[in-house]
Amino acid sequence: MHNFDFVKPATIADAVKALSAEGAQALSGGQTLTPTLKQRLAAPSVLVSLTGIAEMKGVCMGDDGLSIGAATTHATVAKEAAAHYPALAKLAGGIGDPAVRNRGTIGGSIANNDPAACYPAGVLGSGATVVTNRRKIAADDYFQGLFTTALEEGEIVTGVTFPIPQKAAYVKFNQPASRFALTGVFVAKFADGVRVAVTGASNDGVFRWTEAEKALSANFSASAVAGLTVSADGLIGDLHGTPAYRANLIKVLTKRAVEAAH
Amino acid sequence: MNPMIVEGQVHGGVGQGIGQALLENTSYDENGQLLTASYMDYAMPRADDVPFYTVDHSCVTPCTHNPLGVKGCGEAGAIGSPPAVVNAVIDALHRGGHTHVKHIDMPVSPARVWSAING
Ligand SMILES: Cc1cc2nc3c(=O)[nH]c(=O)nc-3n(C[C@H](O)[C@H](O)[C@H](O)COP(=O)(O)OP(=O)(O)OC[C@H]3O[C@@H](n4cnc5c(N)ncnc54)[C@H](O)[C@@H]3O)c2cc1C
Repeated sequence: MHNFDFVKPATIADAVKALSAEGAQALSGGQTLTPTLKQRLAAPSVLVSLTGIAEMKGVCMGDDGLSIGAATTHATVAKEAAAHYPALAKLAGGIGDPAVRNRGTIGGSIANNDPAACYPAGVLGSGATVVTNRRKIAADDYFQGLFTTALEEGEIVTGVTFPIPQKAAYVKFNQPASRFALTGVFVAKFADGVRVAVTGASNDGVFRWTEAEKALSANFSASAVAGLTVSADGLIGDLHGTPAYRANLIKVLTKRAVEAAH
Repeated sequence: MNPMIVEGQVHGGVGQGIGQALLENTSYDENGQLLTASYMDYAMPRADDVPFYTVDHSCVTPCTHNPLGVKGCGEAGAIGSPPAVVNAVIDALHRGGHTHVKHIDMPVSPARVWSAING
């Protein structure tokens, strides 16, 4: 690991100021960034911890839905979102292992936007709003491909607000080694239609399966998906599964998510 | 001899064999680059990949080549479990009607089972 300075501000304003320094980088739960530093794949001059900022922590039900501070751990979401949004709580409770869930945060996960991460599917599938220190970004505009988001230089995620669907479920098929999503599907049924978000499968990162959304909006049942086909074009092929296998998983997991939705 | 240690060795051996049958795989790309260079890609068997064990000592067959009649035991589980697991998968496929599947290479991952069914 290269040498770096460490600061732990108590407000968003101070964090943003600290991040304006040359070579500064945000540190949230460190579950992605710390291994990267250990492998010397990143060399920030200053790490700005976001976990001491009270206004970026917690789970809170309001008029626009469920707001989760960016520095809230997966374990806290699993526990505290359960009464309001069980599908999201279950997603958070299925990330990694207890150590990862007690350090890793929702803000870190969606800032990183790993193509096999779970939260991007939950955020896009819910049509949530990503809140930053500068603006509010619709999930549809926020995720822009592998490890790429709408975040600009010096902009940090401060929270995410989820509208609560009538029914939802996330079903993840584990990659056998990392237990990230080999493919994962988040299905959410709202009064005005169904959203289906797929992670782990595409070379372009998380995406909406619009064909299934249309079919499920007309008829919310697993049989509505049965007649659809998923093209393997642009899907990930690696040692854990071919594009064709992932195409099959997208359909199977979507059916399972519809059946599990409550 | 400590029977508890013998049982523990058998547990470990069976676990190792189940890992070989279902999970463990060293893989290189076409340029010789190791793809399974960390545990994020190299799948080790973990506690929830193995069953609870009952070790049965009832079949007592002393070794005839040494005065104590003792045998090594650690590898016994590792040798028996891969064929047991892989044959169980093949058997399940046949019972499920996929009688054309005669062979699947280890590790028998979900993706390989799916390819065998559809191939
Ligand atoms: C063994 C293991 C298993 C895992 N399994 C899963 C899994 O099954 N599913 C899954 O989804 N994830 C999984 N993860 C990833 C985990 O969820 C991480 O916690 C997450 O990806 C990153 O969050 P973090 O808070 O740790 O962020 P960090 O590692 O602290 O930061 C990650 C990146 O985001 C930036 N960043 C952090 N917070 C913000 C912010 N608020 N605004 C802007 N930029 C920010 C950092 O600068 C850094 O570039 C796993 C990780 C490990 C180590």
